[in-house]
Amino acid sequence: MRLELRDITKQFPGVLANDRISISADRGKVLGLLGENGAGKTTLMNILSGLYRPDSGEILIDGETQVFRDPAEAISAGIGMVHQHFMLVPVFDVVESVALGSEPVSGLAATFDRATARARVVELSNQYGLHVDPDSKIEDLPVGVRQRVEILKALYRRSDILVLDEPSAVLTPGETEELFGIIRGLAAGGTTVIFITHKLNEVLEVADTITVLRRGRVAGTVLPHETSREELANLMVGREVELTVTRGPANPGETVLELKDVFVRNDRDEMAVRGASLEVRAGEIVAVAGVQGNGQTELVEAITGLRHIDSGHIKVGDTLLDEAKPRKVADLGVAHIPEDRMRDGLIKGMTVAENYILDSYHREPYSSTGRFDRVAIAREAAKGVKEFDIRTPSIETTVGSLSGGNQQKVIVAREFSRPVKLVVASQPTRGLDVGSIEYIHRRIIEQRDAGAAILIVSTELDEVLALGDRVAVMFSGRIVGVLPSEQATKEAVGMLMGGVH
Amino acid sequence: MTAAAAPANAVVPAASEAERRALQRARIRGIVISALGLIAFALASNTMNSEVTFKFWVVTQGKDFVQIQTTAGMFWILTGIATGGTGIWQLWRGSSTRWRRWLILWLPLWVAAVVSTLLTGKTAVLTNAFAGTFEYAFPISMGAFAALICERSGMFDIAVEGKLLVGACVGAITASMAIQWLGPDTGMIVGPIVGPLFAALAGVGIGVLMAWLAIRYKVDQIITGTVVNFGALGLTNFVYLRVLQTYTDYNTPPTIEKVDVPLLSGIPVLGPILFQGTPYMYIGWVVMLVLTYFLFRTRWGLRLRASGEYPQAAGTVGINVIRIRYRAMILAGAIAGFAGSYLSLHSAGSFQMNMSAGKGFIGIAAMIFGAWNPIGAFGAALVFGFADSTQQLLSQLGVDVPPQFLASVPYILTVVVVAGLVGRVRGPAMAGQPYEQG
Amino acid sequence: MSGLRRRLRPLAIPILAVISAFIVGSLFLIFTDIPALQVLPTQPLDFLGTAVGNVIKAYAALLTGSLGDPTRFADAFRTPTPENWATAIRPISETLVAATPLIFTGLAIAVSFRSGVFNIGGDGQFVLGALGATATVLLLRDLPAPVTLVAGLLAGIVFGMAWGFIPGFLKARMGAHEVITTIMLNYVALQIVQLALRTPFMRPATGSEPISKVIDFVRVPALIPLPGLRLHWGFIVALIAAALVSYFLFRTTKGFELRAAGLNLTAARYAGMSAGGSIILAMVVSGALAGLGGAFQVLGTVTQMSNDVNSGYGWTAIALALLGGTRPGGVVAAAILFGALNNGGHEMQIETSIPLDLLVFIQALVIMFVAAPDLVRQIYRLRRRGPEGGAPVEEGAAA
Repeated sequence: MRLELRDITKQFPGVLANDRISISADRGKVLGLLGENGAGKTTLMNILSGLYRPDSGEILIDGETQVFRDPAEAISAGIGMVHQHFMLVPVFDVVESVALGSEPVSGLAATFDRATARARVVELSNQYGLHVDPDSKIEDLPVGVRQRVEILKALYRRSDILVLDEPSAVLTPGETEELFGIIRGLAAGGTTVIFITHKLNEVLEVADTITVLRRGRVAGTVLPHETSREELANLMVGREVELTVTRGPANPGETVLELKDVFVRNDRDEMAVRGASLEVRAGEIVAVAGVQGNGQTELVEAITGLRHIDSGHIKVGDTLLDEAKPRKVADLGVAHIPEDRMRDGLIKGMTVAENYILDSYHREPYSSTGRFDRVAIAREAAKGVKEFDIRTPSIETTVGSLSGGNQQKVIVAREFSRPVKLVVASQPTRGLDVGSIEYIHRRIIEQRDAGAAILIVSTELDEVLALGDRVAVMFSGRIVGVLPSEQATKEAVGMLMGGVH
Repeated sequence: MTAAAAPANAVVPAASEAERRALQRARIRGIVISALGLIAFALASNTMNSEVTFKFWVVTQGKDFVQIQTTAGMFWILTGIATGGTGIWQLWRGSSTRWRRWLILWLPLWVAAVVSTLLTGKTAVLTNAFAGTFEYAFPISMGAFAALICERSGMFDIAVEGKLLVGACVGAITASMAIQWLGPDTGMIVGPIVGPLFAALAGVGIGVLMAWLAIRYKVDQIITGTVVNFGALGLTNFVYLRVLQTYTDYNTPPTIEKVDVPLLSGIPVLGPILFQGTPYMYIGWVVMLVLTYFLFRTRWGLRLRASGEYPQAAGTVGINVIRIRYRAMILAGAIAGFAGSYLSLHSAGSFQMNMSAGKGFIGIAAMIFGAWNPIGAFGAALVFGFADSTQQLLSQLGVDVPPQFLASVPYILTVVVVAGLVGRVRGPAMAGQPYEQG
Repeated sequence: MSGLRRRLRPLAIPILAVISAFIVGSLFLIFTDIPALQVLPTQPLDFLGTAVGNVIKAYAALLTGSLGDPTRFADAFRTPTPENWATAIRPISETLVAATPLIFTGLAIAVSFRSGVFNIGGDGQFVLGALGATATVLLLRDLPAPVTLVAGLLAGIVFGMAWGFIPGFLKARMGAHEVITTIMLNYVALQIVQLALRTPFMRPATGSEPISKVIDFVRVPALIPLPGLRLHWGFIVALIAAALVSYFLFRTTKGFELRAAGLNLTAARYAGMSAGGSIILAMVVSGALAGLGGAFQVLGTVTQMSNDVNSGYGWTAIALALLGGTRPGGVVAAAILFGALNNGGHEMQIETSIPLDLLVFIQALVIMFVAAPDLVRQIYRLRRRGPEGGAPVEEGAAA
């Protein structure tokens, strides 16, 4: 079926998320929808799936205007959605997950007809080569298989239009290739596919047409064979992408952080880090690349004292970290920029000043013998706000009301307000605007030039390559390679990320 | 390239470390359980001569009976064998035994042994104690079902207590009014139907109010529950003191009598225990079975559980989570309100202030014990009902045990289970979390 | 002017919530007014007149019962004898007597809410505090009175602390949901009290009622030296406690840790705080406050331990904490308001024979309206204000 969106506009308080967006995709074709974080992709998708209603504009399927009041109507119109965060109930099995919402039933009590549903799941799984065991529990399945279950959900509902939201974010390159195969198969069978991503290579590889979104508007629609990475990148960010940050050569000194055969468990008690070894020296940036979920989160938490080390050792300077005590680690001069700003780094109900002192409140000059010195706190917080250019009405404003960039600056200001020997930054620029990204990168490089050792963990390859004096790659819980920046090409790092070495 | 040498699936040293710890824990557990077994044997040696007689009515109360004469020591020996056996098995097999299952076997034995020791030299009619267990368990199990439905749909429900109380009050008043308005003859027939019905409706009203506050106004579900519990206490006390105390006609409902189930009530020994109760008891059985079927075998159950585990997943496939939660609250309200009418229409024969006396909270405890499963919750309710029933048995036979000990058992056990000291249970993942639709 | 308005704005919701609760309460008064209802089918206007008149009478009695009768004050000015003054002031004194345990329990719950712990165990902590105080005083009755008194108060603190520590520890270390554990522990506490009241040590020589011996040989000194006024120093201690709690929460590092844990447990952990420690500390402080409230209740007000020494203070405290926006000053104001209601309720019960329990219902309604500010705004067509307006517990207590 042919899908067309005309002049879709959606306004949220303070944000024009979609501004007269028009896209179209023909039957059996793959439309790549490319855009940065915050370009309006997710809003557009939520409109298409019936979760939001547009302020104006219309949705047409095969030329007929559609109005979706809820997801059920979008589904019955033939739209199938594969969300970035899988919409699967962990304790259900595959059959239940796939059938949920369109269950075959029998009898007065509407008994769930599992046999019928199971037969159909098996049939579809075989037909499209998805290789899904219908009786496994979702929580026992690996990520790649869960995604195939999501695709099964759409097929089960006979969706003619399949929308995939950042489907490769959690996949290895191998799994991504497999996914592309499935997508091509579906398109060949007549399904219209909309593929939402921010990865240039992927749209070039799989899409028949590419529409680029920028700040809620369509920046351009191009054909893959008529365009180039540079042009797409240009359309996406609105100017030449600055892939390299201006930084001088590194001047490495003694080793500040040493990891040796480190094993760490995750929350589900599985071994997430399995024998990682790495060294970071003073005055250099080591950037760790890797697809999300390869143990980076657990490794960072082990280094910052948030997680127990199962075996192996971590040394900061001359000190061996033997127990999980975040404060002890911080006292060694470790600054930590955590992965999830709002969850881990800030308390949004507290003020800028309170967040500024969040991990050094117990120290002079903020407090002595357990009591706060409010004058000193106000003075220091005002200094931090000024120095790091945090745009806030006052230091008494709650952090939750600031923009993402300014929130991250509060964290950076706080962490760099202490004497720093080692910076551990996890996804330091995720979800930020270009200006804030540059600012934070500059600050990190300043720290390096001042002699700190820097460990950056990022799933954004561009960020890793731009910042790393050495690039380490993490795969399946181990550091599978460390490359000096001049050898760290996209291809070389990408191969390692996919476990090819 | 500094690729590490170990293949991904190699034996990881730390894993065996964890296994070693588990084994160590299992050993300690085995020793503790075996020691308990030894204690049981030691107690047996002191109680071999403590005679106790248990009596069961065959078909009719007060007529033919069978009786078992035994000693408390016999029970202690059985207890010792079961407990000690579990302990040794645990020691031998290490961490791989499913010792929690065995606990279900020997815990009742311990209870039986303790009770029979207390009853030394007496004759206890167990038919009444067991039948009483089922009667006491009724409001508890229904409360547990109500809470279970809510939590499975993703709503916290700590307001069972309040719903029971309001149900009791409304049931008594409406059933009395039936007599007042229709005369004693018609009223005696209509009253027992109208009372429970309106009690259920009152529960529905409360359920709707709670759902409305929690969903529409995002009020914390613990707060809405607190409002209902506290408000129900104030309101029913107020109504009792202002109206019912003066106008006693409105608090003289027809009581709901026991009904024998045809045929089944004639089964020797079991009949008088299971099939000579109030209609409430039978309804309780039916609700348990129907609820189990609906929860795990029907579309309704699938969607309800999805709403409680991952509402976004349900919402994105077009399921109206809000509607499911409203309906769950309504159903739960009906069940709890109906159960409330039992309190005032069955034994007491009138509404009394605060007559729910914590049964709603014990219902929540039973739900947790039963791992959010109707049959499990019913089993737990029976355990708590047995505690109540035993307490009564002991006091009737003049055994001087402060009733407070037995009365606190359900509460203490609940704290122990919630703390994960004996087997952690997992409830619906998203219970109590508000859900935003689009 | 605008400054004043800005300062008054946070009060709008609580005040409207209280007003709304009374309006709903009056509806229930009208529809349980059986004598008036009997004339409804024939003379609907008469019914309305009588029923509304009764409501006004009831609320007026509530007011004079809580604040005092102006004519009594006039008498006292005309002939200023101690007796006359005592009569005039007594309602206010009784209001503050009723407010004293509420301040303690309200503060207790506010502290726990601030740390993200939903302590429903105020009841249990309060009664065990009262029991501990009674037992200690009975045990040490031969010591000098001041020593016995202080020991009794300390025992109240210790008992309450212990009963708060258990759910705090179980939540912090085992992840046990505090709502379940505190509810269950309330019942266990009640059973402990009943058990204790059966012992010869506690029970008076005669009588089978579940009450203890009278312990008026030590008593918290009265605050106003006029005959028959029960207001004692416990009230002043309650105010001091409120000031200390405020200082603790907003001026000390431990209080900062506690609030951080309440607002965002993960971030607190990342910042190197011991979140579990904060939860336990909050529950211990909470239990200590409730326990001290119980101790003052038996040692200052009722002079006897009984089953119903606690009349739902733990639940009322939730209303107070919400109404006061979990701020100690707000809690004190709310507690005095509720104290006035409870005390005035007695007067209402005597004069109009409307049961005191109406106020329990009204308090429940107050919780409901305060917890649903959007509902109140909708009813009174208020505009929504910035994010600062809401009570901090909205985020904190959900955890």
